[in-house]
Amino acid sequence: MSSSVESRRANKGSRRSDGPDMRRVVYRETHSSRAVVSVAAAALVLVLAGYGVLESGVHAVGQPAWLIEPQVAAQRMVDLPAGISPLLLGAVGAVLAMLGLIFLLNGILPGKRARHLLAGAPGEGLPAVVVDDEVIASSLARRARLAANVTPEQVMVVVSQQQVLVNVRPTSGIPVDQGRVLDAVRDELDHMLLEPAPVPRVNVTPSGVIGA
Amino acid sequence: MNSTPALLNRILLAVLGLILLGVGLLLVLLATVPPVGSWWHSWSSGAWGGINQVFDSTRFPGRPESWLWIVVALTLLALMGLMVAWIAQQGKGRSNLLAAEYDPGEIPGDVRIGGGVAEQALRHALEGRPDLAGATVTTYDVKGSPALKVRLLPRQGVAPHLLAAEVSGLVDALESVVGKEIPVLIHVGAGARTRFSRAERVR
Repeated sequence: MSSSVESRRANKGSRRSDGPDMRRVVYRETHSSRAVVSVAAAALVLVLAGYGVLESGVHAVGQPAWLIEPQVAAQRMVDLPAGISPLLLGAVGAVLAMLGLIFLLNGILPGKRARHLLAGAPGEGLPAVVVDDEVIASSLARRARLAANVTPEQVMVVVSQQQVLVNVRPTSGIPVDQGRVLDAVRDELDHMLLEPAPVPRVNVTPSGVIGA
Repeated sequence: MNSTPALLNRILLAVLGLILLGVGLLLVLLATVPPVGSWWHSWSSGAWGGINQVFDSTRFPGRPESWLWIVVALTLLALMGLMVAWIAQQGKGRSNLLAAEYDPGEIPGDVRIGGGVAEQALRHALEGRPDLAGATVTTYDVKGSPALKVRLLPRQGVAPHLLAAEVSGLVDALESVVGKEIPVLIHVGAGARTRFSRAERVR
């Protein structure tokens, strides 16, 4: 019994956070999935192909076409600049190009979500933890607010992939110690051990708030 | 966490995007630049002539239609089938099994533990917490092995690392009950429910 517990403890770290499975899972959580765009693209192709099947099937059995005869359509496409107003042609082209650009960028861009990985493990064997930047920001704002001794409305925190910006508007007449706020935020960040680690910056506005 | 084919999605989207972008740019150029129009004319009429010839040479004996139309229809049908398959791949991966193992004890047979055990146990343990606005637990099938995803919605101002540490303690307890190690992902998220609810003030 004890030996099995020992072995569990021993392989815990390797299975939990370093295993290939977990790395893949964490990647999927921190990058957006293209499921919605993919379904839209597939539906678009489905509709176009469905129309094509209809027309070519109708044509194959020698029935009159539903909307337009394929040969007529092709002939119109061949002598394209003629037969349609250039404005309409340009507009259709622009819409198609825009749609294509959206799909292409969705396929190529990294698509990082506003999330951080929590590497901080108090003790061993912490599961993989992914945190929304919004949660980090509200936690840091609370800490900064306590350090600066102001109300929640006077602190605004922006968390991005590489940096944390803390904006503090002091109460009029009561100075805010920028260093203290920075220390508090840095301490909180040190406990979180975010990955990638953002650099904190504190910005105390010169104008204060009256009556807060 | 689910088994959405991420790489396939990217490739197919990029290919489709390139095609649409190319067609759209061609149409815009046709409408605006006259030399492109004459080039298109010479190129496309040549291509269309070739295609026409192929269609003419593949007629049904005694009828004006070409059997190539049937081929075209079948190809498009196959394309439609592929698209349906592609859509069906999205967002798969939920499972209902937490553990399934042969039991080497005195009674022969397998032991299976459903995902509902973990989901209900964890949800019950997290229910009364004042710092959480909500929590969901789901079981996923990651490449054939079960995994748990715990989604936490903390109230504003809750330190995520402390919350994660406490929840991982709960997960440890669950693992010792189930007797098997399960890969766990904890997602500490924010939503409309956390944004407009009151902040947690005492802790």
